[in-house]
Amino acid sequence: MNVTLVFATLRQRFTSPLRLVILLLLGWMPMLQILLAPRIGFAALGDCYFLTLTLAAGMIGQDLSSGTLQLLLARPVTRAQYVFSRWGAVAAGTFLIVVLQALCAASLMLARGAPVPWGQAALYLGNSALLALGLAAVMALFSSLASGIADLGLLFLAFLSAQVLEKVGMFKSWDWLARGAGELLRMLKPELDLASLVHGGQVPWPAVVAYLSTVTLCLALAVVVMNRRELSYASSGN
Amino acid sequence: MPRIPMDGIRIESLTKTYRAGQVRALDGVSLEIAPGEVFGIIGPNGAGKTTLLGCLLGFLRPDAGRVSIAGREPDDLAIRALTGYLPERLTLDRWMTGLDFLAYHHALARLPAAGRAAEVRAALARVGLDPDAGRRSIRRYSRGMLQRLGLAQALLGRPRYVFLDEPASGVDPAGVVLFRRLLGEVKASGATVVLNSHQLDQVERVCDRVAFVKQGRVEALETPHAGATMARVLRVRGPAGTIGASVPRETLELAARQAGAVLREVAPPLARFAVADDAGAARLVQTLVAAGVPVAEVTPEEGRLERLFLEDEPARGPA
Repeated sequence: MNVTLVFATLRQRFTSPLRLVILLLLGWMPMLQILLAPRIGFAALGDCYFLTLTLAAGMIGQDLSSGTLQLLLARPVTRAQYVFSRWGAVAAGTFLIVVLQALCAASLMLARGAPVPWGQAALYLGNSALLALGLAAVMALFSSLASGIADLGLLFLAFLSAQVLEKVGMFKSWDWLARGAGELLRMLKPELDLASLVHGGQVPWPAVVAYLSTVTLCLALAVVVMNRRELSYASSGN
Repeated sequence: MPRIPMDGIRIESLTKTYRAGQVRALDGVSLEIAPGEVFGIIGPNGAGKTTLLGCLLGFLRPDAGRVSIAGREPDDLAIRALTGYLPERLTLDRWMTGLDFLAYHHALARLPAAGRAAEVRAALARVGLDPDAGRRSIRRYSRGMLQRLGLAQALLGRPRYVFLDEPASGVDPAGVVLFRRLLGEVKASGATVVLNSHQLDQVERVCDRVAFVKQGRVEALETPHAGATMARVLRVRGPAGTIGASVPRETLELAARQAGAVLREVAPPLARFAVADDAGAARLVQTLVAAGVPVAEVTPEEGRLERLFLEDEPARGPA
């Protein structure tokens, strides 16, 4: 990972006015709920799926469409470093927002005289970090395939296709299809619930392996796609 | 920064096609560019110049052939650390300020962080951008300012290999002069420069050698300055019945000798003279007038590179 690229990505993401507006809306809406019903706890924050998507959209594709990638890759930076740095920056940015959200939520609970469930807060932070890392990897793959923010479209299309296939599989009693589509849906939202670990349960190894393999596969494929990509406008027509 | 022996660029039988082989952008190009040489690439649109530059930078994978820089692959990180590049379609990170942008590339180039702020300010001043412009968002830069900033970025850290794709495009005349001066400095530092440009007069002035590329092949290799003590040709036209008639060839030859020029040809009512430079041209006109030659019009003839294009013109056929 390249630290310069990570910080540049974070600055780029957090200086986009549209992104900031969306992040503020997504970040502050749950606060209203806590303000009205402070005992609801950190459950009001939901997960960080849309926060991650907001930061991840176009993480590579925007560089491809704007043409800034050529200048960047003329520097001593490998394409793998570039992909990993983008992924790391999006996950780190999301986690930063999640931490701020959790701090605000805890402050509001204290201000309203409600007890702060610190255990729940730690679980929320852990689960959010894992979802941010997983989803950022999926978006890195889609973003390496499509320019601009078309990665969002690809994600939506994949999600829709998987749901349709799952329904068809269930309707026709084709178990293999329903299971395959279910796996695809899980790949599109790679998460790992740490609750079982915290509550002294068994380590859910199948889920851990599925999560890690999804993240690894997506990042590896994104690097392969980027390595195969030709970076000259001459290639699009000479 | 890794130590790399000073070496040039070698291109061997480079072939590159697009659209599954339907478009042949480069067709067996072989070139050797010596260390410290300023090498120009010219040619009509679609000749393969940008593809060649893309292969030199490791952005494009050739179908056949090989490019090596100092004996290494062009995308070797050690080579990249010594490379400066200015693309033709310059798109910068518009959310940054000029100073931020240069500091960002300074860091990406793995240059020492200690002197970063000073070096970035110096780079900005080097291309004639004031500190105020540096603090402004790139979004507000004019085309010429963007080009200057791009050039400052390409020259950060005194690179050993500089690739410039139309560096003076969109730049005002003062910028063109500045660009020429900077290129002189880069050359003096011993860097190898590959320059892709349509501005033939610039190429002719700054390049040691020039490759004329057409349909993916190197059609000619010119050495603009070799043996060319008489670099420019002037066409002098007199009123009808003067040059070549009432003014004999001997008078023209004598005037040319006095002015330090050479009479190339007399084709009434025109005479063609070779002169060394602008001062030589002025001296010739003065001497001709003093010798009583009625001068109606003086026009500079196209340079050697321009002639390459003009000779190529009929071969291209109707558009």
